[in-house]
Amino acid sequence: MIRNAVRPLWLVFVSCVFLSGITLAAQRGGGPPTSGAKVHPAIGNREAIAEGEKLYNETCTSCHGKDGTGGELGPPVAAQNRRYLRRTDAELFDAVKNGITGTQMPPFSSQFNDDQLWKITAYVFGLRGTAIDTPASGNVAGGEAIFWGKGNCGSCHMIKAKGGILGPDLSSLAGTRKVQNIVDALTKEKHKIAADGGTHDTTLLPMTSYQPVRVTTKDGKVVSGILKNEDSFSLQVLGKDDLNIYRFKRGDVQVYYDPNSLMPHDWDKRLTASEFQDLLAFLTRLYMPPPPPPPARGGGGAPVA
Amino acid sequence: MRHALIASFLVCLGAAGAAQVTDKDLLSPDPNDFLLYSGTYDSQRHSPLKQINTSNVANLQAKWIFHMTGAKDLEGPPIVYKGMMYVGQYNRVHALDAATGRLIWEHMRQPPSVGWQRGIGIYGDMVYMVAQDSALVALDRRTGNPIWEARPSQQGKRFQGPMPFAAKGLVIMSGSGQGGGFIEAFDAKTGQSKWTWNTIPKPGEPGSETWAGDSWRNGGGPVWVSGSYDPQLNLIYWGTGQPTPDFVGDNREGDNLYTDSIVALDIDTGKMKWHFQNTPHDVHDWDSNEMPVLIDAPYNGQMRKLLLQANRNGIYYILDRTDGKFLRGVPFVSKVDWLSGLSPEGRPILTPGHEPTVQGSKTCPSTAGATNWPSPAYSPDTKLFYLIAQEGCGITYRSTTNFRPGQGGSGTAYMESGEDQERWQLYVRAIDALTGKKVWDYEQVSSFHYGPGLLSTSGGLIFAPEQQGMFTVLDAKSGKVLWNFNTGALITSAPSTYMVDGHQYIALTSFSNVIAFALPDAK
Repeated sequence: MIRNAVRPLWLVFVSCVFLSGITLAAQRGGGPPTSGAKVHPAIGNREAIAEGEKLYNETCTSCHGKDGTGGELGPPVAAQNRRYLRRTDAELFDAVKNGITGTQMPPFSSQFNDDQLWKITAYVFGLRGTAIDTPASGNVAGGEAIFWGKGNCGSCHMIKAKGGILGPDLSSLAGTRKVQNIVDALTKEKHKIAADGGTHDTTLLPMTSYQPVRVTTKDGKVVSGILKNEDSFSLQVLGKDDLNIYRFKRGDVQVYYDPNSLMPHDWDKRLTASEFQDLLAFLTRLYMPPPPPPPARGGGGAPVA
Repeated sequence: MRHALIASFLVCLGAAGAAQVTDKDLLSPDPNDFLLYSGTYDSQRHSPLKQINTSNVANLQAKWIFHMTGAKDLEGPPIVYKGMMYVGQYNRVHALDAATGRLIWEHMRQPPSVGWQRGIGIYGDMVYMVAQDSALVALDRRTGNPIWEARPSQQGKRFQGPMPFAAKGLVIMSGSGQGGGFIEAFDAKTGQSKWTWNTIPKPGEPGSETWAGDSWRNGGGPVWVSGSYDPQLNLIYWGTGQPTPDFVGDNREGDNLYTDSIVALDIDTGKMKWHFQNTPHDVHDWDSNEMPVLIDAPYNGQMRKLLLQANRNGIYYILDRTDGKFLRGVPFVSKVDWLSGLSPEGRPILTPGHEPTVQGSKTCPSTAGATNWPSPAYSPDTKLFYLIAQEGCGITYRSTTNFRPGQGGSGTAYMESGEDQERWQLYVRAIDALTGKKVWDYEQVSSFHYGPGLLSTSGGLIFAPEQQGMFTVLDAKSGKVLWNFNTGALITSAPSTYMVDGHQYIALTSFSNVIAFALPDAK
């Protein structure tokens, strides 16, 4: 079979499933929860976001790509797992209005008025929002019980140092994924696709495909597990049974790439509707705030030679 | 003793410093040097050096690494002249001892930049850097002292990132801006503008009839890679980029000349001698900026001056470079579904259903391209054309809104197809240069987007870095892997080769590092 494409971290999730009871309306975001913080009225305003999307699609996609995922000339402005220097609504607005000195990002103050610039800002800000900004309703404690109990999710996933390691650590799931991404992961066989268009890749990243493989060595030994990385010469595999990391030379082994993920994708059928909702309520609140900034130099610390 | 060594080292460099890169050097380069983006004016990226060859390449070793602090995504090949190497990108140049990697001088322009740019040009006693504020900057090649600066002579235009191209007393640059792309030639000694050619004709000029209404104002045709030069025909060959907006064509009916075209310009005047448009009325952003490769070969029983190009749209083209006549066009990837064939003139015969839609429409190859700017190579020894081929398909989206003429914008974007069989995957592919028929393939596992360029040598080798950081050497005849080295960082540039003190080196930029390789006896 054809080798399943393995993709680095910036895989984007695009398919949409809309389940009743999930509200995606209030698009907010920009990294950490902003509840309580004073933001511009355009932020989270659906009409402003819709108009901002139009303006964005006319003007910004050639550099920053559709949905802010990166284009031929500019970086993604709303990629997952990316840390942004400009995080607040005011900082984003400033970048759009005045450009960014020392880069190819030009000012748009002559092309748009402030009202339009805020709409673009609201759209980009909304793209960056994650589940913690719009957690699903439901019984959180009940969802946690399902996670560790009936769902047996903890056999593969870890939350705050408890659980398994075959699947992704979910400790801050809600800080890195949108609600619909989480729904898709629970209900769709193919919940992630593809590299986005014009991105110039900028760094090597560990693979996060969780591609299941079965590796057979020349002496007949079989290792099943998760592909952590590969190139034309070697493979690095997390063994499913002993949880050891294996290293193989490609020429020494036969590799079967299992097209089926280890992750079941029918949780909406395995669970009742209310159980599913409760699980979602739990998952969309898994969040670890970023560490505090380092203490300032001097002023009470040890003298610096 | 130590001082004596330093003194003799300086004497050697001093001797090199007195020399100048002449037209003769550029027209028939000393194989010990690597003076141009594509090595030579014919852009074959083939070196006659063969000290490193199929019998000993397994012993290739890393000799030195130079780290360019703060740089990333380096796209320029190292340029080498008489043992001195020049590397850089926007706003920075580093001059190194090519045998040791020791820094000789550097020029840093403010602000520091990490933008994509394809390296440093060299000519006479100057090197040429592109600045992110759209200046072409000439520096003394021995010290880095600034000599002159030039900017595009037309208002609203800016330089993009090609390596400045030196030939016949000129430094040729290109870019885009209001009203479309352009190529401009400057006097290499003074920076004075000598001529400009615009990719988009204005009303009344030939080609303007291929833009409905005033849609020519949208622009497009950016020129972001340099090209090739035939001194006998006195022509330069450059590729041009896509029309604007990229993915919406209904407000710019017509062929939209001279976008997505290969153009031949008189090097003295900038006048266009001929053009060949690969993708008329493009709606998939299939720029024709892929390097045109020039070879002289018998074609259908007659010796001809040929131009070869593997185009982003999936077709391998063979043209007669004297007049642009189309000779052949064949797909070089397994799936090309947007056309059913080519007319006798080389015009694609379109299949329906591939116009971008709001929901997304599938097309093979994708907008990322069946190949892209990473350089191909041609070996006169094997007569094979080597390229980075990207298999797979893409989904192309268009905007729901109409465009305002002259405002630019792409009209939205594209993604990889979600079907397993249509995922993006990069290969090094060898094809028969005169038929386009595939001879061998090397799959670059884990690499799937753009990728670095190639270098061919008379050692029977293809130096083939991989996007995901592996530097791999392949047997030019069979594609068999002969050596590999993990550089540990993304590679988005093509290798160079040169000789110093009797030792052949292969040098490569990888993300923010320059790495040089040689055989063990090169101390």
